Amino acid sequence: MARNKSILTEARQIERAVTLIHLGARLQVLESETDLSYERLLRLYKEVAGKSPSKGQLPFSTDWFMTWQPNIHASLFLNIHEYLNKSSALDEIDAVIKAYQLYLEQIGTQGLEPLLSVTRAWRLVKFVDNGMLTMTECSKCGGHFVTHPHEIARHFVCGLCNPPARAGKGRLAGSLQFGPALLSQPAALQAHAAH
Amino acid sequence: MTSEQILAEIREANLSYLMLAQSLIRTDMDQALYRLGVSEENAALIGALSPAQMMKIAHSNTLLCRFRMDDDVVWNLLASHGRGAANDGMGRLHASILLAGRHAEAA
Repeated sequence: MARNKSILTEARQIERAVTLIHLGARLQVLESETDLSYERLLRLYKEVAGKSPSKGQLPFSTDWFMTWQPNIHASLFLNIHEYLNKSSALDEIDAVIKAYQLYLEQIGTQGLEPLLSVTRAWRLVKFVDNGMLTMTECSKCGGHFVTHPHEIARHFVCGLCNPPARAGKGRLAGSLQFGPALLSQPAALQAHAAH
Repeated sequence: MTSEQILAEIREANLSYLMLAQSLIRTDMDQALYRLGVSEENAALIGALSPAQMMKIAHSNTLLCRFRMDDDVVWNLLASHGRGAANDGMGRLHASILLAGRHAEAA
C-alpha cells in the first residue's frame, strides 16, 4: 500500500478518518482502519477535535455487551449493521460508520443517551467477525440480540422480553430515559468511564 | 372527506413520499435502503425519476408506500398496549430492534 500510494485513496481515507473523529472514535480505530501514519492521524485528530485524543487501552472485554442496557444498545446497532451489510455492498468501516450514524439517530429520536460509543461499536463488529460474540434469536419476540456464541437458541429470551430482576420496576422505567436516573445505573457509569 | 379531497390528499402524500425518498437515496444510498426498507433495484428506480415522472406516478387513487409494522409483536410494542406509560421508551426501543432485524423485506 505504501509503495503504491494513490492520492484519491488517501483523500478517501482522510475523509473517513474525519467522520470517525467527529463520531468520537479513539485513535486506535483510525490506526487500524486507515493507512495513514500515526503522526498524521494525531495531527488530523487535533485539527478536527480541537484536543488531543484520549490515551490508554481500548475497552477489550466482551462482558460489557452482556450487561442489560448495553446489550440492548449493542443489539440495536448490530441489527442496523447487518441490515446495511445485507442490503448493500459496503467496505467494513463504512458499514460501521453508517450503521453507527443511524443508531445515533434512532436513539436520539427516543430521547435516550447513546450508551454505545463508536469505538465500542467497532469492537463489537470485530468480536462478531472473530466469533467471540454472535446474535441469537429471542424465542419470545423473534428479535436478534448480541450473545456469546453457542447460546441455546431454543431457550434464549432477550433482556427486553425478560428484564433481569435487579432492574426493578421503578429503575427500569427511569433507566431508559435521560437524566439523573441514567447516572445511577452501574452500566451507564461503566460506559462513561470508558470514553 | 369528499372523494375529490381524498384523491388530492393521496396525491400529496405520494408526491411527498417520492420526493423524500429520492433525496434520501441521492444523499446516501446505503442508509436510504435502511430508512425506506426498499430493495436496491427499487431505490435505483426512484432515484432516477424525473419530476414529470414523479407527478405521473403520484397521481393515483392508491398510496405508494406501505405500512411496515405488519405484525402484532411490533405493533403492540409501539402502541404500548397493556403497558404503563413508563415503559414506553422500552417498547419503542424493542420495536426498533425488531424492525432493524428485518432485512427480508428489503432483499
